[in-house]
Amino acid sequence: MKIVAITACTAGIAHTYIVAEKLQKAAEELGYDIKVETQGSAGIENELTAEDIGNADVVLYTHDIAIRGANRFKGKKIVDVPISVAMKQPKSLLSTIEKKLAAKQ
Amino acid sequence: MPLIDILNTDIIDLEVQGTTKDEVLHYMANVLLKNGYINDVDVFVKDIYEREAEGPTGMGSHLSIPHGKSNAVLRNGIMIGKTVNPIRWESSMSDDGYQDTHLIFLFCVSADKEFARNHMMLLSELAGKLGNDVRVTKLSQAQSKEEILNLILCEDEELGEVDKVLNEEEIVDLDIDF
Repeated sequence: MKIVAITACTAGIAHTYIVAEKLQKAAEELGYDIKVETQGSAGIENELTAEDIGNADVVLYTHDIAIRGANRFKGKKIVDVPISVAMKQPKSLLSTIEKKLAAKQ
Repeated sequence: MPLIDILNTDIIDLEVQGTTKDEVLHYMANVLLKNGYINDVDVFVKDIYEREAEGPTGMGSHLSIPHGKSNAVLRNGIMIGKTVNPIRWESSMSDDGYQDTHLIFLFCVSADKEFARNHMMLLSELAGKLGNDVRVTKLSQAQSKEEILNLILCEDEELGEVDKVLNEEEIVDLDIDF
Protein backbone atom coordinates (compact mmCIF):
# COMPACT_ATOMS: atom_id res chain seq x y z
CA MET A 1 0.00 0.00 0.00
CA LYS A 2 1.27 3.45 -0.91
CA ILE A 3 0.14 6.21 1.40
CA VAL A 4 0.56 9.96 1.29
CA ALA A 5 -0.25 11.71 4.54
CA ILE A 6 -0.54 15.21 5.92
CA THR A 7 -0.19 16.14 9.58
CA ALA A 8 -1.39 19.47 10.98
CA CYS A 9 -2.09 20.28 14.63
CA THR A 10 -3.42 23.43 16.30
CA ALA A 11 -0.15 24.98 17.53
CA GLY A 12 1.97 23.39 14.82
CA ILE A 13 4.82 22.87 17.24
CA ALA A 14 4.75 19.34 18.56
CA HIS A 15 2.05 16.88 17.49
CA THR A 16 2.43 17.61 13.77
CA TYR A 17 6.00 16.33 13.91
CA ILE A 18 5.55 13.58 16.48
CA VAL A 19 2.70 12.04 14.52
CA ALA A 20 4.62 12.32 11.24
CA GLU A 21 7.38 10.26 12.82
CA LYS A 22 4.94 7.76 14.32
CA LEU A 23 3.26 7.21 10.95
CA GLN A 24 6.64 6.75 9.31
CA LYS A 25 7.68 4.15 11.91
CA ALA A 26 4.35 2.33 11.77
CA ALA A 27 4.48 2.15 7.96
CA GLU A 28 8.05 0.81 8.04
CA GLU A 29 7.04 -1.91 10.47
CA LEU A 30 4.00 -2.90 8.46
CA GLY A 31 5.84 -2.77 5.15
CA TYR A 32 3.86 0.09 3.63
CA ASP A 33 5.23 2.93 1.58
CA ILE A 34 4.51 6.35 3.09
CA LYS A 35 5.38 9.99 2.58
CA VAL A 36 4.26 12.48 5.21
CA GLU A 37 3.94 16.21 4.61
CA THR A 38 4.03 18.31 7.79
CA GLN A 39 2.10 21.57 7.93
CA GLY A 40 3.33 23.29 11.08
CA SER A 41 5.09 26.31 12.48
CA ALA A 42 8.20 25.51 10.47
CA GLY A 43 6.08 25.85 7.31
CA ILE A 44 5.24 23.05 4.88
CA GLU A 45 7.96 20.40 4.90
CA ASN A 46 8.43 17.25 2.87
CA GLU A 47 5.82 18.60 0.45
CA LEU A 48 3.90 16.01 -1.54
CA THR A 49 4.48 16.24 -5.28
CA ALA A 50 1.90 15.57 -7.98
CA GLU A 51 3.76 12.33 -8.65
CA ASP A 52 3.60 11.24 -4.99
CA ILE A 53 -0.11 11.90 -4.97
CA GLY A 54 -0.69 10.24 -8.33
CA ASN A 55 1.04 7.05 -7.19
CA ALA A 56 -0.69 6.85 -3.82
CA ASP A 57 -3.42 4.31 -3.09
CA VAL A 58 -4.79 6.45 -0.33
CA VAL A 59 -4.47 9.94 1.18
CA LEU A 60 -4.44 10.23 4.97
CA TYR A 61 -5.31 13.49 6.71
CA THR A 62 -4.32 13.49 10.38
CA HIS A 63 -5.27 16.92 11.58
CA ASP A 64 -7.00 19.24 14.04
CA ILE A 65 -6.94 22.30 11.77
CA ALA A 66 -7.73 22.81 8.09
CA ILE A 67 -5.39 21.12 5.60
CA ARG A 68 -3.63 23.47 3.21
CA GLY A 69 -3.81 22.56 -0.47
CA ALA A 70 -6.58 19.97 -0.14
CA ASN A 71 -7.53 20.55 -3.80
CA ARG A 72 -4.42 18.54 -4.73
CA PHE A 73 -6.25 15.37 -3.69
CA LYS A 74 -9.36 15.64 -5.82
CA GLY A 75 -10.55 12.21 -6.93
CA LYS A 76 -8.30 10.33 -4.47
CA LYS A 77 -9.47 8.03 -1.70
CA ILE A 78 -9.20 10.09 1.46
CA VAL A 79 -9.12 9.01 5.10
CA ASP A 80 -9.68 11.81 7.56
CA VAL A 81 -8.86 11.41 11.28
CA PRO A 82 -8.00 13.68 14.20
CA ILE A 83 -4.33 13.86 15.26
CA SER A 84 -5.12 11.96 18.46
CA VAL A 85 -5.98 8.74 16.60
CA ALA A 86 -2.60 8.62 14.86
CA MET A 87 -0.89 9.64 18.09
CA LYS A 88 -2.38 6.76 20.04
CA GLN A 89 -2.76 3.98 17.46
CA PRO A 90 -0.59 4.66 14.40
CA LYS A 91 -0.18 1.01 13.45
CA SER A 92 -3.82 0.07 13.92
CA LEU A 93 -4.79 3.10 11.89
CA LEU A 94 -2.67 2.05 8.91
CA SER A 95 -3.61 -1.62 9.06
CA THR A 96 -7.30 -0.74 9.31
CA ILE A 97 -6.97 1.46 6.23
CA GLU A 98 -5.39 -1.39 4.33
CA LYS A 99 -8.16 -3.80 5.33
CA LYS A 100 -10.81 -1.34 4.20
CA LEU A 101 -8.99 -0.70 0.94
CA ALA A 102 -8.72 -4.43 0.25
CA ALA A 103 -12.41 -4.93 1.01
CA LYS A 104 -13.29 -2.26 -1.53
CA GLN A 105 -11.33 -3.79 -4.37
CA MET B 1 22.34 24.23 12.55
CA PRO B 2 22.74 21.02 14.52
CA LEU B 3 20.07 19.93 16.96
CA ILE B 4 22.32 20.49 19.98
CA ASP B 5 22.11 24.27 19.35
CA ILE B 6 18.56 24.32 20.67
CA LEU B 7 19.45 22.33 23.79
CA ASN B 8 20.93 23.91 26.89
CA THR B 9 21.79 22.10 30.13
CA ASP B 10 20.99 25.29 32.09
CA ILE B 11 17.33 24.67 31.31
CA ILE B 12 17.35 20.99 32.14
CA ASP B 13 16.25 20.46 35.74
CA LEU B 14 16.21 17.00 37.32
CA GLU B 15 14.37 18.09 40.47
CA VAL B 16 11.34 20.06 39.41
CA GLN B 17 9.37 20.93 42.53
CA GLY B 18 5.61 20.89 42.87
CA THR B 19 2.70 18.51 43.20
CA THR B 20 0.33 19.92 40.57
CA LYS B 21 0.56 20.79 36.90
CA ASP B 22 0.17 24.46 37.77
CA GLU B 23 3.01 24.37 40.30
CA VAL B 24 5.46 22.62 38.00
CA LEU B 25 4.61 24.89 35.04
CA HIS B 26 5.30 27.95 37.17
CA TYR B 27 8.49 26.41 38.55
CA MET B 28 9.74 25.66 35.04
CA ALA B 29 8.69 29.06 33.70
CA ASN B 30 10.76 30.64 36.46
CA VAL B 31 13.82 28.69 35.32
CA LEU B 32 13.20 30.02 31.79
CA LEU B 33 12.90 33.55 33.19
CA LYS B 34 16.18 33.27 35.11
CA ASN B 35 17.96 32.05 32.01
CA GLY B 36 16.69 34.86 29.78
CA TYR B 37 14.30 32.78 27.65
CA ILE B 38 11.15 34.63 28.68
CA ASN B 39 10.39 38.02 30.23
CA ASP B 40 7.11 37.28 32.02
CA VAL B 41 6.17 34.07 33.86
CA ASP B 42 2.43 34.77 34.09
CA VAL B 43 2.03 35.70 30.42
CA PHE B 44 4.03 32.67 29.33
CA VAL B 45 2.10 30.23 31.55
CA LYS B 46 -1.21 31.72 30.39
CA ASP B 47 -0.21 31.10 26.76
CA ILE B 48 0.79 27.52 27.60
CA TYR B 49 -2.65 26.98 29.15
CA GLU B 50 -4.29 28.35 26.03
CA ARG B 51 -2.79 25.50 24.04
CA GLU B 52 -3.53 23.02 26.85
CA ALA B 53 -7.21 23.93 26.53
CA GLU B 54 -7.23 22.70 22.92
CA GLY B 55 -6.19 19.15 23.66
CA PRO B 56 -4.09 16.92 25.90
CA THR B 57 -0.30 17.17 25.86
CA GLY B 58 0.41 14.02 27.86
CA MET B 59 1.86 11.53 25.40
CA GLY B 60 2.19 8.39 27.51
CA SER B 61 5.32 6.89 29.10
CA HIS B 62 5.01 9.55 31.85
CA LEU B 63 6.02 12.27 29.38
CA SER B 64 4.19 15.55 28.76
CA ILE B 65 4.94 18.13 26.11
CA PRO B 66 3.23 21.42 27.02
CA HIS B 67 3.82 24.02 24.33
CA GLY B 68 2.42 27.17 22.88
CA LYS B 69 3.46 30.39 21.30
CA SER B 70 3.95 33.37 23.54
CA ASN B 71 4.83 37.03 23.25
CA ALA B 72 6.76 36.62 26.49
CA VAL B 73 9.37 34.48 24.73
CA LEU B 74 12.74 36.15 24.05
CA ARG B 75 14.54 33.09 22.80
CA ASN B 76 13.19 29.81 21.42
CA GLY B 77 14.20 26.71 23.34
CA ILE B 78 13.11 23.68 25.24
CA MET B 79 13.05 23.28 28.99
CA ILE B 80 13.33 19.68 30.14
CA GLY B 81 12.22 18.85 33.65
CA LYS B 82 12.08 15.68 35.70
CA THR B 83 9.49 16.11 38.42
CA VAL B 84 10.07 15.10 42.03
CA ASN B 85 6.41 14.08 42.33
CA PRO B 86 4.07 12.37 39.86
CA ILE B 87 1.93 15.06 38.21
CA ARG B 88 -1.64 14.36 37.06
CA TRP B 89 -1.78 15.45 33.43
CA GLU B 90 -4.36 15.29 30.62
CA SER B 91 -3.32 12.54 28.24
CA SER B 92 -4.21 11.47 24.72
CA MET B 93 -2.93 7.97 25.45
CA SER B 94 -5.01 6.67 28.35
CA ASP B 95 -8.67 5.72 28.52
CA ASP B 96 -9.55 7.88 31.52
CA GLY B 97 -7.86 10.87 29.86
CA TYR B 98 -5.12 11.31 32.46
CA GLN B 99 -1.59 10.09 33.08
CA ASP B 100 1.05 10.45 35.80
CA THR B 101 3.78 12.65 34.39
CA HIS B 102 7.40 12.48 35.54
CA LEU B 103 9.14 14.12 32.61
CA ILE B 104 8.20 17.39 30.95
CA PHE B 105 9.42 18.85 27.68
CA LEU B 106 8.24 22.46 27.84
CA PHE B 107 8.49 24.07 24.41
CA CYS B 108 9.33 27.76 24.63
CA VAL B 109 8.34 29.34 21.32
CA SER B 110 7.98 32.98 20.28
CA ALA B 111 4.62 34.07 18.89
CA ASP B 112 6.48 36.09 16.27
CA LYS B 113 6.24 34.01 13.09
CA GLU B 114 9.44 35.22 11.47
CA PHE B 115 11.39 34.99 14.69
CA ALA B 116 14.27 32.51 14.66
CA ARG B 117 12.88 30.26 11.96
CA ASN B 118 16.04 28.19 12.21
CA HIS B 119 15.19 27.41 15.79
CA MET B 120 11.66 26.46 14.81
CA MET B 121 13.08 23.88 12.42
CA LEU B 122 15.21 22.46 15.22
CA LEU B 123 12.26 22.30 17.59
CA SER B 124 10.24 20.45 14.97
CA GLU B 125 13.13 18.04 14.46
CA LEU B 126 13.26 17.51 18.22
CA ALA B 127 9.49 16.93 18.37
CA GLY B 128 9.85 14.33 15.61
CA LYS B 129 12.35 12.46 17.76
CA LEU B 130 9.59 12.04 20.34
CA GLY B 131 7.60 10.05 17.77
CA ASN B 132 9.86 7.11 18.60
CA ASP B 133 8.36 5.05 21.45
CA VAL B 134 11.67 3.45 22.39
CA ARG B 135 13.28 6.87 22.82
CA VAL B 136 10.35 8.15 24.88
CA THR B 137 10.41 5.09 27.14
CA LYS B 138 14.16 5.48 27.69
CA LEU B 139 13.86 9.22 28.31
CA SER B 140 11.31 8.60 31.02
CA GLN B 141 13.85 6.37 32.79
CA ALA B 142 16.88 8.67 32.30
CA GLN B 143 18.67 9.76 35.48
CA SER B 144 21.12 12.44 34.33
CA LYS B 145 21.24 15.49 32.06
CA GLU B 146 23.87 13.79 29.97
CA GLU B 147 21.70 10.71 29.49
CA ILE B 148 18.76 12.90 28.43
CA LEU B 149 20.89 14.82 25.92
CA ASN B 150 22.35 11.62 24.47
CA LEU B 151 18.91 10.06 24.05
CA ILE B 152 17.66 13.13 22.21
CA LEU B 153 20.70 13.50 19.98
CA CYS B 154 21.32 9.85 19.07
CA GLU B 155 19.98 8.30 15.88
CA ASP B 156 17.03 5.90 16.08
CA GLU B 157 19.31 2.98 15.24
CA GLU B 158 21.45 3.64 18.32
CA LEU B 159 18.54 3.42 20.71
CA GLY B 160 18.46 -0.34 21.06
CA GLU B 161 15.50 -2.14 22.56
CA VAL B 162 13.31 -1.67 25.58
CA ASP B 163 11.97 -4.37 27.87
CA LYS B 164 8.47 -3.01 27.77
CA VAL B 165 6.35 -4.37 24.95
CA LEU B 166 4.51 -1.51 23.35
CA ASN B 167 1.13 -2.87 22.47
CA GLU B 168 -1.55 -1.04 20.63
CA GLU B 169 -5.21 -1.77 20.78
CA GLU B 170 -7.08 -2.45 17.56
CA ILE B 171 -9.15 0.33 16.12
CA VAL B 172 -12.62 -1.06 15.71
CA ASP B 173 -14.71 2.02 15.29
CA LEU B 174 -12.68 3.89 12.69
CA ASP B 175 -15.10 5.17 10.11
CA ILE B 176 -13.45 5.21 6.73
CA ASP B 177 -15.49 6.10 3.73
CA PHE B 178 -13.99 5.85 0.29
